[in-house]
Amino acid sequence: MRHFRTLLAHELRSAALSGNTWAAGGLFLALMGGIHFFALVDASRAPNARTPVEATLWFFWLPLLCVLPLLTMRTFAEERRSGTLAALLTTPASAAAVVWAKFLSVWVVWVTFWLAFTLFPLIAGHRLGGAAAGLLSDPAALWGGLCFIAVSGLLHVAVGILCSCVTRSAALAALLAFISLLAITAAGGALETLPIESWEWLGWLREPAAHLRTFGHLQDFADGILDSRPVILYGTGTLLCLGLAVLAVEGQE
Amino acid sequence: MPAAEPMPEAAVVAERLTKRYGSLAAVEDLSFSVAPGEIVGFLGPNGAGKSTTMRILSGTMAGTSGRASIWGVSVALDPAGAKRHMAYMPENNPLPEDLRVEEYLTLRARLKDVAAGRVSERVQRVMEDCDLARRAAGRLIGQLSKGFRQRVGIADALLAEPRVVILDEPTIGLDPHQILGIRELIRSLRGKMAVLISSHILPEVEQVCDKVVIINRGRLVAQGRPADLRRELLPERAFTVVTRADETALRAACLGADPAAVVSALPAVDGWSAFRVALPPDSPAAETLAGALVSAGIVLREISEERYGLEDIFLAATRRAPGEGRRP
Repeated sequence: MRHFRTLLAHELRSAALSGNTWAAGGLFLALMGGIHFFALVDASRAPNARTPVEATLWFFWLPLLCVLPLLTMRTFAEERRSGTLAALLTTPASAAAVVWAKFLSVWVVWVTFWLAFTLFPLIAGHRLGGAAAGLLSDPAALWGGLCFIAVSGLLHVAVGILCSCVTRSAALAALLAFISLLAITAAGGALETLPIESWEWLGWLREPAAHLRTFGHLQDFADGILDSRPVILYGTGTLLCLGLAVLAVEGQE
Repeated sequence: MPAAEPMPEAAVVAERLTKRYGSLAAVEDLSFSVAPGEIVGFLGPNGAGKSTTMRILSGTMAGTSGRASIWGVSVALDPAGAKRHMAYMPENNPLPEDLRVEEYLTLRARLKDVAAGRVSERVQRVMEDCDLARRAAGRLIGQLSKGFRQRVGIADALLAEPRVVILDEPTIGLDPHQILGIRELIRSLRGKMAVLISSHILPEVEQVCDKVVIINRGRLVAQGRPADLRRELLPERAFTVVTRADETALRAACLGADPAAVVSALPAVDGWSAFRVALPPDSPAAETLAGALVSAGIVLREISEERYGLEDIFLAATRRAPGEGRRP
């Protein structure tokens, strides 16, 4: 992992100066701002089991599908198309260092977007003031949910990076990432909604399905339940995707 | 230059390199070497396998079989070690459009293990050497002309003072002034770095290179110093004779000087007849031909020996069957 720090600093700087990042950030804040606004309006009309912040976090899949592919699509596809990736690999920097640097920089940007999202409940609390602020926002649920976003984000970003490694077209990389992330999220969601327990012939699926409940993981994190299994799932999935990405970069000719 | 290390016999070694795409061999059984400090021209028609060979040597592409080493380090077994001794500028010289020249070179210097305290000094030095310091240092690479982009690529190659520099068509798309500048720059590397340079501009290669390696259809067809190749591939000595004499008289005079002489007619020059007289490689008549013709009563306006350039050597080498070239 020689040169990792040099590459990471370069990637973070490039991301900060890139119009693509700012556009993705604008889209993210517009989406989450809009969702939070409607959650606040909804909460003001009738009592709800979830606070507006929890209700907003429940829509984490929307920016995941619409914004994250915009961040990951250019990481490798664009560099492969222009040839700058091959030029980078003529230096002693390893493919693993390049992949990890790009991965970590996108993950930092993704987490930064979500940290920026915390401004919405803060602003809402400040504007409404007093007891209303306490009813509209549960800090524990907010930070628990953000921890889920950060941990699951490792896998989600790694999937996007892998998709960008296998093509020279940024648009195709974004589409692949969208489909892959949709499959990961929807699989978890679908398994949560299906009455697997009542289907005898699907009994074998019960155990693995319990590990793939994405929204269940979000709920656990928001409720402050510390379970190592989802962390291991996202961690190993991340390592697998990044390992494949390194192989894809090393094998590019 | 890095600290003193034992100097290998060859800075670059390609030994029976082969690269196959299915049944198609892009490079086959290719062997050559470049000595330390030597400038070698790597020539071949389009699609001959030059860029493929350079990419294998630079470690950006794996060969199917054979051995490639840079400064004694195997490219396949220790790619990072080989890359530390080598810089490679690909044919299309891909550069990030959104970085400024100085930023880009600073990043590359760090990635190429230039000592932290020397990064700024080295960047300034190569920018001055490549005439970038005053006019392009602060400009975005995406806004540079083709000539300046090529200079940035060469500056990048020289940054870490590598033992070996591999340049794939470094002067492509440049104007004559720019070509002259790049040629002088490459010439200044003689004795300091081993340079392997591919180019389609043969006079340029001839002026800069100590040795040439010529490949065709992925195989070696010739290698050596241009003068040696000239003797090997174009051994005959030929003269252009402009005279009032007719072909019969001239042929008789030439056969009198050397019975193996071959006379052929050339297009007339200003109303004078012109002929090409070819003599065997070691014919003593080559030194006395003018005198022999005058003695035979031939009225001469002009007699001159043909000088074969690298272009002639290249054409002769690429005409012969691939694989006939000499091994190092």
